[in-house]
Amino acid sequence: MSSKVLAFINFKGGVGKTATVVNIGATLAKLHEKKVLIVDLDPQCNSSLWLMRPDRWREHVARGRRSTFQIFDDALQAKARFNFEEALVKGVVTWTGVADLPRLHLLPAAVELLRVEERIHEFRSPVIYQILDAALGTQFKQYDYVLLDCPPNLYSTTKAAIFSADSCVVPYVPDYLSLSGFQVLAEQVAEMREKFAAYLPGRRKPNIGALIVSHYRQTGNVFRLAVNELELSMAALLEEGVLSAHAVLLHPYIRHCVRVAESTSEHLPVILYAPGSIGAQDYADLTQQFVDLFEGKK
Amino acid sequence: MNYSDLATRLSQLGERLAKQSDKLEGQNLGRSAAKLASQLARFEEQLESHLASRKSGELLLESLLRSPASKRHLTIGLLKRGVREICAKRLKSADLSGAKREFIELIHATRKQDLAVEFLKEAFADAAHVESGGKDKALLQREFVHLGQLLEDDFAVQIAARTITELRRVATVNGIRFTDKTNRQRLTTLIRRYAQRAALNVAAARVPSPN
Repeated sequence: MSSKVLAFINFKGGVGKTATVVNIGATLAKLHEKKVLIVDLDPQCNSSLWLMRPDRWREHVARGRRSTFQIFDDALQAKARFNFEEALVKGVVTWTGVADLPRLHLLPAAVELLRVEERIHEFRSPVIYQILDAALGTQFKQYDYVLLDCPPNLYSTTKAAIFSADSCVVPYVPDYLSLSGFQVLAEQVAEMREKFAAYLPGRRKPNIGALIVSHYRQTGNVFRLAVNELELSMAALLEEGVLSAHAVLLHPYIRHCVRVAESTSEHLPVILYAPGSIGAQDYADLTQQFVDLFEGKK
Repeated sequence: MNYSDLATRLSQLGERLAKQSDKLEGQNLGRSAAKLASQLARFEEQLESHLASRKSGELLLESLLRSPASKRHLTIGLLKRGVREICAKRLKSADLSGAKREFIELIHATRKQDLAVEFLKEAFADAAHVESGGKDKALLQREFVHLGQLLEDDFAVQIAARTITELRRVATVNGIRFTDKTNRQRLTTLIRRYAQRAALNVAAARVPSPN
């Protein structure tokens, strides 16, 4: 199986990283019958708590053992306690009490990940970057898509995700603060690409492959102008060689939808919770474009 | 619980029952076993029907017709085209829900669920596809930033050289909303304001990289 490993990054918070990962992942599994793994790397554990009921999540990740924290803790302590099969959560439990979406798997996060960043500096590069790839690289091969939900920063955990990814996806809210952040992010990813090049022989170097606009509203000029400024910025960064020519701004833009917000409290992706909502429709079309882009169909 | 957990539990129960069956007796246990057997029969029936509809493509067709993509992109025209291409027949219904019912019936009758799934998947994928706008869009965006970098007099000269239609195209491509009643002067003001903002936001206000 040729898996696509994609890191969802943005060092700005609240741009819809988790919503994008969870809902694209679920739509890939449900409508495209793809085998998908979501890897939660954020100490806020948002994609884990979106897809798991809190009591079940707490029990599952107790002491961080069956979570992504264990991968980093093992690397820091030179141990091998992480067990992929034990940590894996298969499907999403619906109101029936039975798991649906059997092709959607989750490696949950634990809040203990907060401690990782403090300790990880004991390591010298490039070992830091290779932690995730070394622990999960083989497992990734059994999936069509691996979606890495990164924390809103560009510290070591995110760098490890970028290292193991074939491509980066940047969720984006159309406003100026996101625009300025995106320019720095693009430069940082370009720098990492150079830094990682020597350690990735024969593999595709990480690049920004796609941008996804969320929290979009069609009223007035505001968001259209902000998206236009993003496109102008992408063109400028492309000319400077900071951004790859493959980087694409995907359509449609994900509109603000109360049913998506509500679905977090139901611990379900919107395609299961409210399949008729505009949120589910936007994610369905976006996922189609996503597949076309990463499988080279159009 | 997932189906794999259920399978493990049922196998373990089966093994235990087989080993202990000669020791099991009494009315309470018997009633409970009878209840379980009847629930199992119902579950087996549903499982068979689920697997059969999955194999024939019926389940996928049903789930496609209920999908968010269908809600947005399914039209009578598309269903008519589908029936014509797949079954070489014509749809009679004039409303969408009737056409959908007729479509499903015709597909089932001709057992062409697989073709229908392929047809709908492709149609929804095409409908979701958005043209990038091409070189023309890129040129008009570049022009917009250029206009934003000009001093007032140079800007006035550049604007004077363009027709209202050209100005409208620059505005449309660059996200400026206007109406048919928006006159040249107002459109020029809008382009001036937002082109200057874009030039500033994209280039001048660039946050320096930490390195």
